[in-house]
Amino acid sequence: MELEFFSAAFLSALLAIILIDLVLAGDNALIIGLVARNLPKNTQNKVIFWGTFGAIAIRAAMAILVVYILNVPGFMLGGGLALVWIARKLLTPEPDAAANHLAKAPAATFAGAVRTIVIADAVMGVDNVLAIGGAAHGSILLIVLGLAISVPIIVWGSQLVIKLVDRYPSVILLGGAVLAWTAYSMIVREPMLVAWFEAHPATKLVVAILIFSISLGPWYTERLSEQMKPLVVLLPALLVWMLAFEVAASVWKVQVDYLLARDQGEYLLEGLRWMGWLPLAALFLWVREQLIQRSRRTARG
Amino acid sequence: MLLIHRSQRAANAVRTVSPGGELFVASVVICMIMASFGDAVDPTVLGEAGLEFALFDLGGEFSVLAMRHWHLLQLLLAGAALAAGITVLRVCSTIFYRALRPAPAGGVEKVPIKL
Repeated sequence: MELEFFSAAFLSALLAIILIDLVLAGDNALIIGLVARNLPKNTQNKVIFWGTFGAIAIRAAMAILVVYILNVPGFMLGGGLALVWIARKLLTPEPDAAANHLAKAPAATFAGAVRTIVIADAVMGVDNVLAIGGAAHGSILLIVLGLAISVPIIVWGSQLVIKLVDRYPSVILLGGAVLAWTAYSMIVREPMLVAWFEAHPATKLVVAILIFSISLGPWYTERLSEQMKPLVVLLPALLVWMLAFEVAASVWKVQVDYLLARDQGEYLLEGLRWMGWLPLAALFLWVREQLIQRSRRTARG
Repeated sequence: MLLIHRSQRAANAVRTVSPGGELFVASVVICMIMASFGDAVDPTVLGEAGLEFALFDLGGEFSVLAMRHWHLLQLLLAGAALAAGITVLRVCSTIFYRALRPAPAGGVEKVPIKL
């Protein structure tokens, strides 16, 4: 799909890409510094140049690849689910985040250093490229613009990004929300599911709330009291339960709507759909309570 | 490692975010869910029941059903407007309730009423 240049859709997709680039940018400068710190001075400059060049090249190759991959049936759904996990991970607090590096040991050779930098960038850039591919709606121009924005961030803009997110941490929350929104739009655009969503339009809302409740879980968990914390599991589980009945009804061709039910079995199924989750929720709350009490006893003893 | 994790505040954004920023992002998320609601509801079904204006056309100017066509930019602007509206309501209600609070019993501004 090609978006009209400078239309609201184009500018929105560009804004989403910029936000994704900001919040999912990998710390290449630190990786390069860590890998090259034991090499001689003249080799260090070469490692910085070729490491950066390799990182940009691998990012460009992945961006081109993702455009084709997302056209394959099933990958849009897989990409959307991956983005839900990425958004959740982005919002999960990390007390000692600075200690987690992909490259801990310094390299002994030039080739080893460049290889480590390129592999680290490829690993760090997968989520970024996937999210940009989803937000670009298949527009090559937007993919190129996304790449043009992410490369300066990789090379020069790290301090600027750190200052921005340090001053305004809400940018991270907004990035998480945009990732969740992108995941939703990717899942409902999945070619294998488009017809099903057309036939079951109400499930789109269930999917949207399910995606937001999982992606933004770490955010609202922080605001919930201890008694309300089980909601973080119960709400998405209930939505999955409802969605599963809708999917099962389509697969086995049974009627789960009580207004259209034809026999006793279908009425029972409808009852199970609306009431069946209650004992499971009660069981979950009981097991959770037991585990909390056991951990308290262990801490005391 | 993500670049944002170089900042302790950004790595713990859910704890360090300002109330204003949090309200803005929450408003944007509400607008996103409303847009997906507009996407999920079939307007013709509501039209047949004569409900599309009664329930979803807020003030005759803004329709939840039309939000299905909104892009991120529009959702961000709507989120900002919603956050601003909530802030104004909060400030007004605070002023209102403060005015209603009685003066302390022994205060000089207390009017003595004796029956």
